[in-house]
Amino acid sequence: MSAGVAQSGTVDLPLGNVEEQFSASDTRWYRLVWSSTKARVGIIMLLGFILVAVFAPLIAPYEGTRTDFAPLLPPSGEHLLGTTTQGGDIFSQLVYGARVSLLVGLFGGIAATAIALVIGMISGYKEGSLTDDILSFVTNVALVVPVLPLMIVLVAYSEVRGVPLIVFVIGITSWAGHARAKRAQIITLRNRDFVTAAKFAGEGSGRIIFREIMPSMTSLVAAGFVGAATGAIGAEAGLSFLGLGDPNTVSWGTMLYQADAQGAVAQGLWLWVLVPGLVLALLITCLTFINFGVDLLSNPHLRED
Amino acid sequence: MRYFARRIGFFLATLWAAITLNFVIPRMQPGDPAEVMVQKLAGKDAQLNPAAVEAMRAMLGAPEGSLLEQYVAYLKALARGDFGLSYTYYPYPVTEVIGQAVPWTLVLVGVTQVLAFVIGVTLGAYAAWRRNTRFDGIVTLGSTFVGTLPSFWIALLLLFGFGYVLGWFPTAGGYSTATPGWNAGFIADAAYHSILPAVSLLITAPIGWVLGMRNTMVMNLGEDYIRLARAKGLPDGVVALRYAARNALLPSVTGFAIALGGVLGGSILVETIFDYPGMGRLMGEAIGNRDFPLLQTLLLFIIVGVLVANLIADMLYGVLDPRARKAES
Amino acid sequence: MTLLQVRDLSVRYEPKRQASLTAVDRVSLDIHDGEFVGLIGESGSGKSTLAMALLRLLERPGRISGGSITFDGHDITTASQDDLRVRRWRDIATVFQSSMNSLNPVMRVEAQFRDAIEEHSDLRGDAVRDRVRELFEMVMIDPKFMSAYPHELSGGMKQRVNLALALANRPRFVLLDEPTTGLDVVVQRSILDAVRRLQKELGFAVLFISHDIGTVMELSDRILVMYAGRLAEEQPASGLVADPLHPYSKGLLGSYGNPRAETVRVTYIPGRPPDLSRPLQGCRFAPRCPEAIERCTTVEPEFAPLGEGSVACHVARLQREPGPERVTGLPEPTRVFAGPEFVKTSEESDLARQAPVFLKVDGVSKVYERRRGLRVQRTQAVSGVGFELRRGEVTALVGQSGSGKTTLARMITGVDRPTSGSIRFTASDGQDIAVHGLRGRRLRDYRRHVQMVFQDPYSSLNPALPLRYALSRPLRNHRGLGAKEADSMAAELLETVALTPSSRFLDRYPHELSGGQRQRVVIARALAADPELIVADEPISSLDVSIRAEILELLQQLVRDHDLGVLYITHDLLSARLLADEIIVLNGGRVVEHGPALEVIRNPADDYTRTLLEAIPQPFERVG
Repeated sequence: MSAGVAQSGTVDLPLGNVEEQFSASDTRWYRLVWSSTKARVGIIMLLGFILVAVFAPLIAPYEGTRTDFAPLLPPSGEHLLGTTTQGGDIFSQLVYGARVSLLVGLFGGIAATAIALVIGMISGYKEGSLTDDILSFVTNVALVVPVLPLMIVLVAYSEVRGVPLIVFVIGITSWAGHARAKRAQIITLRNRDFVTAAKFAGEGSGRIIFREIMPSMTSLVAAGFVGAATGAIGAEAGLSFLGLGDPNTVSWGTMLYQADAQGAVAQGLWLWVLVPGLVLALLITCLTFINFGVDLLSNPHLRED
Repeated sequence: MRYFARRIGFFLATLWAAITLNFVIPRMQPGDPAEVMVQKLAGKDAQLNPAAVEAMRAMLGAPEGSLLEQYVAYLKALARGDFGLSYTYYPYPVTEVIGQAVPWTLVLVGVTQVLAFVIGVTLGAYAAWRRNTRFDGIVTLGSTFVGTLPSFWIALLLLFGFGYVLGWFPTAGGYSTATPGWNAGFIADAAYHSILPAVSLLITAPIGWVLGMRNTMVMNLGEDYIRLARAKGLPDGVVALRYAARNALLPSVTGFAIALGGVLGGSILVETIFDYPGMGRLMGEAIGNRDFPLLQTLLLFIIVGVLVANLIADMLYGVLDPRARKAES
Repeated sequence: MTLLQVRDLSVRYEPKRQASLTAVDRVSLDIHDGEFVGLIGESGSGKSTLAMALLRLLERPGRISGGSITFDGHDITTASQDDLRVRRWRDIATVFQSSMNSLNPVMRVEAQFRDAIEEHSDLRGDAVRDRVRELFEMVMIDPKFMSAYPHELSGGMKQRVNLALALANRPRFVLLDEPTTGLDVVVQRSILDAVRRLQKELGFAVLFISHDIGTVMELSDRILVMYAGRLAEEQPASGLVADPLHPYSKGLLGSYGNPRAETVRVTYIPGRPPDLSRPLQGCRFAPRCPEAIERCTTVEPEFAPLGEGSVACHVARLQREPGPERVTGLPEPTRVFAGPEFVKTSEESDLARQAPVFLKVDGVSKVYERRRGLRVQRTQAVSGVGFELRRGEVTALVGQSGSGKTTLARMITGVDRPTSGSIRFTASDGQDIAVHGLRGRRLRDYRRHVQMVFQDPYSSLNPALPLRYALSRPLRNHRGLGAKEADSMAAELLETVALTPSSRFLDRYPHELSGGQRQRVVIARALAADPELIVADEPISSLDVSIRAEILELLQQLVRDHDLGVLYITHDLLSARLLADEIIVLNGGRVVEHGPALEVIRNPADDYTRTLLEAIPQPFERVG
């Protein structure tokens, strides 16, 4: 679950290599990402998940939260994966669960990336100043503190449970690794001559940050976003599994929570246990695959040659 | 030396931040925190026993005095080792309750983390050395997929498969029949019980190391000193280990503590599933019972544990990388 | 005894996602025991690829695609790495470029000698330590550095360590690939002296690869010239100077001139090397060659003996060994490069020095403070510098790295502020501006008068934005032009710097242009604001030598046409003499020499200036 974290804080960033024979074919980023087979597979899988989530009402036979069926029915035509001990249709829960995971992934990822971007950019642009020292310290602390335990405590204390809370908590706890990477890259870019040249051309700071520096940051921001989204999905699953999820919606994590709470393992209800975890793993895998492709953008050494 | 002093300084500063965080979180809600907690508990449990209120009061103190005064009182209590009383295990103090659980988690997580590091780094280095071959492809692809599997799901499957269906391993607890103590019987029994939880954690833990080490090493293999090492006619093994891996290891060391945080997080879930008497299961209980004193102190202990590991890793890094000692870190 | 014999060696690069190319094409050469052979080549020549191929260190996507390499009678072209290992460092050693970090950062220096020595000899323990000490003394480094880590050594010291390392097992052949590039001239000289001395003493064969023709000629017995993957010429060093055969060699030699002459002439080769990923026809140099005839564009010349050496050139051969048929348009034989020339007379300088002063630097000092935790570290970059710049005059600020020249440039352009002293600028409208106190809006306005050309053409243009954008910004900000007007003005600017037709360039991205072309764009951008002073910070240092004069000529033309003042910052006294009317020499943050260009060159008052003068490669005077 924390597979990405160990890396993102220690990424070695590409410096401008002054190569003698500069290749004239600097491929556009999307083509480069698509060129990686892993990324391609990941993108296709992700599209599959998105389609399922969007068309959930059409795909799932019943509402995800309905629990008025007969419990413990085996798989059949009416209940493709059977029912739970409380009478819920496993297949419908699975389909609707996709929505929660994708939403949390999207918004949690955006939240964490946005915070990382702001802190990283301010810290990097003002390198060496007191602001940078303070922000760097905060980043280092946030990096060291274990994420899941902190999230657990924050959610436990909160009055309201629900998906927005989880997105919020994920956002404020998972930004640190990405912030550090962005800070490092801003520092590299800020010292490049073309930024000084932009100042000479009369450009103001705002324009410099957005039109000169940002385009070179996109690959890093994209990689960070995918990583953050992946982490968010895993975090939501973990929190829900501990019972800290939204009791009114059904997500794959809450499915597993119920399965465990109802002793599904002891009773041999392997389908109920297997399936939510499997789709969770598949979703995270396809995102990680996509990240392979995005990694190629920021790290030329990894391109197979 | 400057480097080591800085690292210790950071440790102390972060420690202070964690303690303060612990102070702030329950007080983020308006009003007297103890009252609020009690209200919450009352809402859930109609017959609220005075024990709960006492536990709350003991932990949170009376809301007299300014925030600063409360903070000082809090710090004093911490210095005394007074972390409050556990609601679940009333009237035992939190420290005693946690104290029982710590060795179990320490062993489980400690062993898993070290094993994961060794396995992950070795696999990653070897995959980088043989990059773009089938071995590398399998390792990279395999570890990507396996690394995304939620550890608690693996735990459930293992419990089901090896615990119930095959019956090879115990399905709950830290030990069964042996009497606790430092005797061979107990240790063997405890070890036996810890195998499934450890395997659950171990399956997903090395992954970060594998990919991180592989990528770092691939980059390192393009470095100039590797080229010179080859030009010197040194055997492959020497180049791989003393030149490439030795350098590529450095970023992994820095990430050790951060990864530890991840494994601790995973252990919370895994211990709950296996009913393993460690800090993780305790946390699960605390959540279920809304035992805030226990919950908070657990968080503090976990953070401190990771900080100490971080300090050790940083010190180790200072020893391994001569440039760190010289330059500003 | 021929130690190294290379026959028709070809190396191809075959990357997965880009076009393949042949970086080295049928190269043949011989190196004998104890011989010192130099290989000259510029960007795209394939010299470094050849080096890697000879050492059998080529990595994917490169591979040897043809030919053979024979060392000491054994064919090593396809030998396995295990077989090669025995020869490595015992028979064949190498020193890589100085800019590379060839030393393992986590191992002490002595350990890095130890593993190479123990691998290939029977020495162990203390015997090894004694040997290392001996090696250190050979290259004149204090043996106390044996226990140091690489990052504790300076660039020059590291290269000396690399040299000592190469000689550790008394090899028969040492390959040096640009060993002194990027180092200070003084350090360069000492390393090159060490190489020459050691080669005479120990008698190993050398292949010395460089783009710097001066040093190669100084040290080598025999010289090879490489262009676009093929050998162009091969001659004994004295022969190459006396009678260069290939026009490219003439072009390389022509890039150097005698700075002490009243009128200095330097040539440059127009255009750029061919794209090797495209199919080639005829002689590769023909598109840029002033002596080319029709045959040159259709038939590729063979590399074959001529006189004392060998050459791949139709014209050279026909001029010296005329065949039975008459060839039309054959040019007269010439020793000089018959291409474009850059000429600087002393009269122009005299006139320029009478123009009115418009920038006055007075008693300027700069101290840098860096916060390191709780302490503050002070570095004195510039002390008490004063000088004046005149309208329409070119002033050269000469110094090595660390001399303070870049700091001064930053203060004059307002990027940094002096710690003490003043800098005043008189604009064309009579305004008197105190540069040292400018901020915000006023600083932006100042940039209308003073612009900057940067050193590295690769990093001074934003790789993610097209040229059109880079040129339009200063036009819109400083000249207040609207979008359409800015566009047409941008096109005009490109024409001014001879990038025509401008429509072909406006929508390109920087990476699609060559180094020389990029630098022109950077100059065009500087001109966009219609400034009165341009501060050019090492604008030609990162360009190949044979094309530098082209940029110098451009700058000189702009000075003439627009009455521009130029502050030309460089570490190279030759180009300073070529472009500048006045020369200021900086050392350690202080001015040590100041005067008219020719005067400073002919009668330097300061020792440091003399050292810099000695360092200018003099291919014609130094062949030994």
